Amino acid sequence: MKFKRGTVNDEIPTASMADIAFLLIIYFMVTTTFAATRGIDFSLPQEEDSPLVDKEESVLIEIQPGGGLLVDNKPLLLENVLEYLKPKLERNPMKPVIIRANEMTEYGYMVSVFDELRQAPDKIGMEVKNVSIPTQREINMFWY
Amino acid sequence: MRLRVRSVQNQGIPTASMADIAFLLIIFFMVTINFEVDKTQVFLPKTQIRLEIPKKAAYISITESGQIRVSGGEEISVPVHPEDVLSFAADVVARDPQKAFVLKADKSVPYRYVDGVIDSLKQAKAEVIYLLSEQETIDSRAEEG
Repeated sequence: MKFKRGTVNDEIPTASMADIAFLLIIYFMVTTTFAATRGIDFSLPQEEDSPLVDKEESVLIEIQPGGGLLVDNKPLLLENVLEYLKPKLERNPMKPVIIRANEMTEYGYMVSVFDELRQAPDKIGMEVKNVSIPTQREINMFWY
Repeated sequence: MRLRVRSVQNQGIPTASMADIAFLLIIFFMVTINFEVDKTQVFLPKTQIRLEIPKKAAYISITESGQIRVSGGEEISVPVHPEDVLSFAADVVARDPQKAFVLKADKSVPYRYVDGVIDSLKQAKAEVIYLLSEQETIDSRAEEG
């Protein structure tokens, strides 16, 4: 009687590897969310480097609820703020600039003003180094 | 006369390297994937200056209605009462004094909510805040203008 010896395939079947890999790709593509991971940085003053800013010697930018600006109590458009600051910064590069937003002002307007000040090196060729954003508690405590 | 046998052309598309390509794509996605710790839906303000936010930064999000959620950077954000932001920030700073905070606030939220959060961060002795924003373009400025 003749027996037929079966041949064993000693290779690992990899035909479905591509299918598995593409399923994983689809999973990653569907679950990946392109999160906004950029923003504008704002360094908070630490105790040792936070001198009291003299209101008279600083530039005060007040932001009204509708987005209107009062710079040193004079209405000014956002695009003209840096031109207003330029001569002051030429005299004193460390001129303090205070941003004070009304409590009902939309947050976006405050960010626009801060962004405009950060663009000073490109627009007027000098940096606004001393920007402070006092909070209402600080205003109540130190404003005079 | 004997005719030459015509060579047989292989009509199949070679797919042997398909798995390699697919695995390279998987590696790309695995390396670049950024797990969002805060999925709060907000309309971010638009800025021209935008810097890369450090990884594992702590998140504080504020919705248009003033609801606040916080995350230390590792875990999914949780809603908190405005008065609890200070204790959250103090706890984060105590663990890592150089920890960056990301403020993810809706552009329409009244500033008093943001003011309260910034004040808590100042009191907690946080060093730096990143105001999360989207890229401002000429088109977006014209739309808002």
